[in-house]
Amino acid sequence: MSTEASALVRTMRERPVAVRARSRGGPPSSPLEEFEQVYLRNVDVLMGYFARRCRDPQTVADLTSETFVRAVDGFARFDPSRGSDRAWLFGIATHVFASHCEQSAGGRDAVARLGGHRPLDEDEIEELAERIDAESEGVALMRRCAQLPAVERAAIELVDLEELTPKEAALALGVSRVAFRKRLSRARSRLRKEQHSND
Amino acid sequence: MTKFTDHLWSDLVREHGPTLAHADRPEPGRAHLLRRPRVLAGSTLGLAGVGTALVLALGAASSPPAYAVTTNSDGSVTVQINVASSLSQANAKLGAMGIDERLEIFMASGPAAVSGPVTCTPAPGANVSGPPLKVLVGTDGTEVISPGQTGGNTGVGTYHLDHCVVWGDTGSGNSGNTGAG
Repeated sequence: MSTEASALVRTMRERPVAVRARSRGGPPSSPLEEFEQVYLRNVDVLMGYFARRCRDPQTVADLTSETFVRAVDGFARFDPSRGSDRAWLFGIATHVFASHCEQSAGGRDAVARLGGHRPLDEDEIEELAERIDAESEGVALMRRCAQLPAVERAAIELVDLEELTPKEAALALGVSRVAFRKRLSRARSRLRKEQHSND
Repeated sequence: MTKFTDHLWSDLVREHGPTLAHADRPEPGRAHLLRRPRVLAGSTLGLAGVGTALVLALGAASSPPAYAVTTNSDGSVTVQINVASSLSQANAKLGAMGIDERLEIFMASGPAAVSGPVTCTPAPGANVSGPPLKVLVGTDGTEVISPGQTGGNTGVGTYHLDHCVVWGDTGSGNSGNTGAG
C-alpha cells in the first residue's frame, strides 16, 4: 500500500462506525435478516464511496438508496460463496454511479426508486454533510489519482481505501484477478513515481 | 445507525420487505439439506374444512413431510415446518392455490421455552385479513442442527421459533407515500 493510502486507511479505521448490531448473534434466520446484516455491514462504506464523488448530501442519499434497492432486486441471485457482500455491493454501486453520471449528463434527475425521491430532513442533511467532509482525505487521494486511468483509480480506491481484497475488487469491477492485480500494481507504481517526483 | 441510515432501512423494509422476505437464497452445495434456519414462507389458507390436513410430501417415504398445513377446529391454521429448504417450493405451491398472504418466521438460538406452535402477528403495515396463523417448527418447536448435518457445519446449534409475522401479498408493508417528494 502506498504511504498516502496507508495514512488514509488509518484515518478511516478510526472513523466512528455508524452501525449498530441488531442481530441476535446467531446466523440470520431469514432473507430479510440476512439482508439487514448485509446492510449494516456496508451502508456506511457505500455512503463514503458516493461521498467521495458527490458533494451534495441529497445525491449521496439517493445513490446509496438506489444501490440498496438494486441489491434487494438481486439478493436472490447473490451467492456469498462466490464473493463477499461488500464486493457485490460495490459492483452495484459502480453501475449506479455510472448511471447517475449518464443521467446527469442528459439533464435528467438521477435515482429515486424508493417510491420517489425522498427529501432529507435537516438532521439527515447535516449527517450526510459530515460524512462527505469525513471523506476529504479520500477525495484528496482520489485527486492524486486523477491522472490514472479509471480502472487503476478504481483499483486503488477499492483495495487501499475500502480494504477489499484484490479478488473481491476484481469481482466488483468485473475483471479477472490477473488483470486486476496488474492494474493495481501499475497504479501503485505510478503513484510512487509521482510521490518521488513531488519530493 | 444515523438517522438517514435508519430511515433508509425503514424505507427498504416498507417498500421491499415482501420481496426480501420471500427471496429464495442460494444454499451452495446443499440444496436439499437444512443449512440454517431461515424464512419459512407459508400462507393464509383458504383451504377446506375443519380438521383438514394438507401434507405436501416432498421427502422420501420414510422421511417426515417437508411441511404440513392444518386447519384447526377454531379456524386458525397451523403450518408445521420440517425441512426449511423446501419452503420456497411450498410457498410457490400455496401461492398457486390462491393464497394471498405469506408467513415469515424468525429463528433464535436456544431451545423453545414452550413447546408447540407460535401464533403469528401481522407485519407492520400489512393488510392481513385471513385466519390466525400458527407455526410449529419440527415436532415441538425446537430444531437442533448437529455437526456434519450442514455444509461447513454452518448454523450448528439449537434454535427455536422466536416470532413469526404475516405479510399481505398485495400491497403488504407499503403504506404509500414513502419517499414521495
